[in-house]
Amino acid sequence: MKELTLELALKMLEAAERWARDIAGFQCSIAVVDKSGAVIAVHRMDGAGMATTDIAIEKAWTAVAFKMPTLMGSRWLDPRNIGKLIGDHAMGMIGRGKGRLCFIPGGIPVADEENEVIGAIGCSGVPSGVGDISDTTVSQAGITALYE
Amino acid sequence: MMNLEIAKKVLQTGIEKAKEMGRVCSFAVVDENGWLVALHRMDGAPTPTVDIARDKAWTAAAFRKSSSEVSRYGDPRAPGFGLNAQNWNERLTTIPGGLPIWDGTRLIGAIGISGETPKEDVIICQNILKDIFREERDLHPERRKPRKKYGRR
Repeated sequence: MKELTLELALKMLEAAERWARDIAGFQCSIAVVDKSGAVIAVHRMDGAGMATTDIAIEKAWTAVAFKMPTLMGSRWLDPRNIGKLIGDHAMGMIGRGKGRLCFIPGGIPVADEENEVIGAIGCSGVPSGVGDISDTTVSQAGITALYE
Repeated sequence: MMNLEIAKKVLQTGIEKAKEMGRVCSFAVVDENGWLVALHRMDGAPTPTVDIARDKAWTAAAFRKSSSEVSRYGDPRAPGFGLNAQNWNERLTTIPGGLPIWDGTRLIGAIGISGETPKEDVIICQNILKDIFREERDLHPERRKPRKKYGRR
């Protein structure tokens, strides 16, 4: 699995959609990007908000650009850390990356066997804080499909 | 109403058509308001084609006509002149390759294809419409009336 192809991307999208529809019960948008951050496939489920496609793409882009889940980056933008002497915040991130950076949890990079990042998946539209149901878990469902 | 099921069918057909022709492209399907529903980039298609396909689909849905026809607004004799110079929307494009999808008299969405020459993009678009929506032409029958000529009385 050196490269993320359209076939693999669709497999991930199918699994993530099924998870979001049958288990989470929320409509959302899911995007898959390759290792350069270019979009491979985007799906918006029926009933999902119209802005969610763009946010899903941005989450996936950020995940592949930083090679880490956006959940980890969201910690940087925690306003509770502002003003602390050794504050763990990076408010300067806001507006960087030509407006494509998005540190909302929901984007996860995809790695191959050699631990090289080959792409990312991003999801938007699921309200967070409902137990295990969140954008991140929908993306995880998509990644799990790669290893089936 | 556009939904993901129709959009997936459109994209699948489009990929088959492109493979038959031996081409690689990007495909975008938007709903009746121009918002993205599904987007696929075939393996090997250049990365900017994603955005161009989306722009074409947006233009086709927003103006309810094929994206190449929007260039008519660049004609100084036409009433819509100025659209091209105004640069009011980054999605506006006049490159051929975006076609609206009609269901009877209702607009349900639009397709945008980018990747090969504009002519081939339009051919793939029309083949999809013909296959799925049984449309002989890309325009709605009511809109087939001959256009008025501007500037001359």
